[in-house]
Amino acid sequence: MSTRDLVCVALALVVGGCAGASMTPSGMESPNLGREATPGQIAGWDISVGPDGVGLPPGKGTPATGATVYEQKCQVCHGAKGAGQPNDRLVGGHGTLASKAPVRTIGSYWPYATTVFDYVRRSMPYIQPQTLSDDEVYAVTAYLLNLNGIIGENDEMNAQTLPKVKMPNQSNFIVVYPSRGK
Amino acid sequence: MSVKWLRRLKIVSAPIMTKDETSRYTDLQGDGKSLMFTYPMEVKSVITRPSHGMTLQGAGLHQISGIAWSGNGTIRKVEVSTDGGKSWTEAPLVAPVLSRALTRFRLPWRWDGTAAVLKSRATDDTGAVQPEREKFIADHGNNAIFHFHGIQAWSVAANGEVKHVYA
Repeated sequence: MSTRDLVCVALALVVGGCAGASMTPSGMESPNLGREATPGQIAGWDISVGPDGVGLPPGKGTPATGATVYEQKCQVCHGAKGAGQPNDRLVGGHGTLASKAPVRTIGSYWPYATTVFDYVRRSMPYIQPQTLSDDEVYAVTAYLLNLNGIIGENDEMNAQTLPKVKMPNQSNFIVVYPSRGK
Repeated sequence: MSVKWLRRLKIVSAPIMTKDETSRYTDLQGDGKSLMFTYPMEVKSVITRPSHGMTLQGAGLHQISGIAWSGNGTIRKVEVSTDGGKSWTEAPLVAPVLSRALTRFRLPWRWDGTAAVLKSRATDDTGAVQPEREKFIADHGNNAIFHFHGIQAWSVAANGEVKHVYA
């Protein structure tokens, strides 16, 4: 799919179709580019997961199964047990945020555990994104949370348990805009 | 230049808290707290001419020129210093001066051929004044890089070479 097609699909979602001229202002003819996104395409893109767990798919995984997936699919870029190198460190850094050399990892910095699932599912592995099964994503998420000391080694992550995980740095984020609680 | 393509829009009732909006584009402060969803850029300016990498061709009359902007309103004034911030001169703004828009300022400068440090300091119509770099770091720490708006200094050497300096 070309970039122009993607733009047109995006517009289709907003205005109801690039092919139809009915939505163009003052009766101007549209250029009739692109085509309507199919329900299947939209479902494939509509994979965001909120901090309340909305959008999490069925499935489950534990740190033990996640370790296997991690070693096969993630370790080459993120190092053994999430230690980092050549790419981002994923584990540790607790207690460093107020220091001169803060280490921002999933464990020390990220405010929501659901973000790990969302990001791994949509973007990882870097050279083969969206090739992991939902069970594998739950498992890798569980593995990384366990390495960071946030969940136990036998804790299963699924659509019910993952949103309940309390991340240690969550209370240190200050929402600037829009201002809340007024 | 980094061109971004808008591919899709999804309307949600609350932030999804994606990787970038939580772990990347948040401003870690010196005390370990982090600011999230910090959309406006505070008042800022930079001298674009002369600037790092340029060379002044001898003493005499030069025009200092740069841009200022504020995410909170309209640029009210820009001051320029050629002595590292000891003294300041207001630089006239070039129309149009619009809210939340880049605003050009200019100031003629007779360079005496000795070492100098150039700075610009913008003030917006909310009264906010662009801080010195040290003040910004004291308030926000060393890691709040996405919204850094401290004063930018350029050194001018006796041979005319202009370089980036912390001053």
